[in-house]
Amino acid sequence: MSQYQGREWHLDCPLTGEDIDQLNVGDLVYLSGPVFTARDGVYKHMLVEGHAPPIDLLALTNVTFQSAPAGVEVSPGKYHVSSLQATAGFRYAQYMPQLLEEFGVKVVVGKAGMSEEVYRDVFQKHGAVCLTTMGYGLGAIYGSAIKDVLGVYWVEELGISEALWILELERLGPLLVEGDVRGNSFFAGANEEINRNLGSLYEGLKPPVYGRLGEEHKPEIELF
Amino acid sequence: MVSASTGISQELLYQVGYEVNKRAAIVVPQDGLTAFGNAWERESKPLAHFILGKILENAKLAVADARPMCGDTGLPRYYVKVGNEARIDGGFVALERSLRRAVADVTQDIQLRANRVHPLTRKNPGNNLGVFAPNIDYSFEPDGDWIDIIAVHKGGLFGTDYRMLFPADGTDGIKRFLLDNMAEFARRGLSCPPVVVGVGLGGTKDQAVSLSKEAACLRLIGNRHPDPDVAVLEEELRELANKTGFGVMGVGGDTTALDVHIEIAYTHTGGMPIAISQFCTAYRRAVARIHADGEVEFREDPLWFTDYYRREGID
Ligand code: SF4
Repeated sequence: MSQYQGREWHLDCPLTGEDIDQLNVGDLVYLSGPVFTARDGVYKHMLVEGHAPPIDLLALTNVTFQSAPAGVEVSPGKYHVSSLQATAGFRYAQYMPQLLEEFGVKVVVGKAGMSEEVYRDVFQKHGAVCLTTMGYGLGAIYGSAIKDVLGVYWVEELGISEALWILELERLGPLLVEGDVRGNSFFAGANEEINRNLGSLYEGLKPPVYGRLGEEHKPEIELF
Repeated sequence: MVSASTGISQELLYQVGYEVNKRAAIVVPQDGLTAFGNAWERESKPLAHFILGKILENAKLAVADARPMCGDTGLPRYYVKVGNEARIDGGFVALERSLRRAVADVTQDIQLRANRVHPLTRKNPGNNLGVFAPNIDYSFEPDGDWIDIIAVHKGGLFGTDYRMLFPADGTDGIKRFLLDNMAEFARRGLSCPPVVVGVGLGGTKDQAVSLSKEAACLRLIGNRHPDPDVAVLEEELRELANKTGFGVMGVGGDTTALDVHIEIAYTHTGGMPIAISQFCTAYRRAVARIHADGEVEFREDPLWFTDYYRREGID
């Protein structure tokens, strides 16, 4: 078994243009510094309904996590995070143009990434990259790299598991570069390789006698 | 301790409910650790090997730091098996109250994510309780005077599917459905493989779905169905799932499924309903038995699928 050859980067948030340009799909990244979380609740509240964030996100960082951590209010106004994992990012592709445009986001950390088209059409234009958490369940490793919770906002409006968390990271990683500034997707490559063999596994298996509405049998395609 | 006249106390049920939820969130059960370890040793793809190593490291750190193993702490739920002679102080309503309280308290103390929300308004009570939540499923066992409390914190928005197949589809139909399920959900690792795949085959449609969930979550990895025809199919499906090559996180690798468990139920003569559920890398389950004298015994094997539960050899 040979070692994984991906390059390893230790970067501080906010990332510089140079930091971002040098990242290639398949690289491993460790992040330190401030990030903010956003998932369905924050995207809807902030981007669709237009509520201004309670703090200046642009001044704070250019890194966002598609997540809300596992954590609680330990005393009034004081929060602690136990564990962290991002949620599947494809469903937030629709929010990316606005998020990158209006909030200056350059690094989106999610789970499993988005399609190559989104990287080419949106990320590339803004010089942004998409990282994915790994494992995916490395919650304890990521949780232990959260040095501080700098603030939790919109708890009343969105609930604790959709709130806007500001986290201070210390070498949180490994994260995998899934979409780089050149519009490449790591998973697009992985899928291509997997698809080469997938069709053959169906050979000799007769199709079901009763189909399903909308069924087109193309197991090789992405469904988002 | 409990007195014979009152039965197992509410307080003890609460304590055990608390403990199994805490363990489920933090501790990867031994069968899972062994399977992840074997997958790591066998893996031929460097990136998949690296990730599996991290999963093992994460499992250790979770225990050392008493942290949830995954940041999505899933939906806490219970499977409760009750010996026919067991007595509960306050009855089943008391049992359910204790188990609900345990989920709420573990959510706060272990810092689980409060995942349970109203499906429309998305309102979050903040304690993983709510309408029909947590699920509590029951089964019974002749003769025993004990109660088994099993906590499962299954994660994942992906991996479950149902389909009505027909007798003419046979095992070809089953294999295709499995391949489709893998192609849909193991791609990019959306269901967080390596997974334990549960297949519910037959029964009524709703039974197929719940049996698939139980098969995924409540049998030890490596355990085989007692029906030899089913056991053979389990092996075949495991091999097939791994031949897809999705691997951990869908990056490409040798292990996509740690195992495949099939539960069958007798079904309508015209159909073959099938459901699949995938139990993700956050392999979260803990089991305890409360004996009539108040002694508590934690163990690895859920022993959920007993002959009696499967209705094997009973009148
Ligand atoms: S599917 Fe499982 S491992 Fe993946 S994020 Fe959800 S709980 Fe964690």
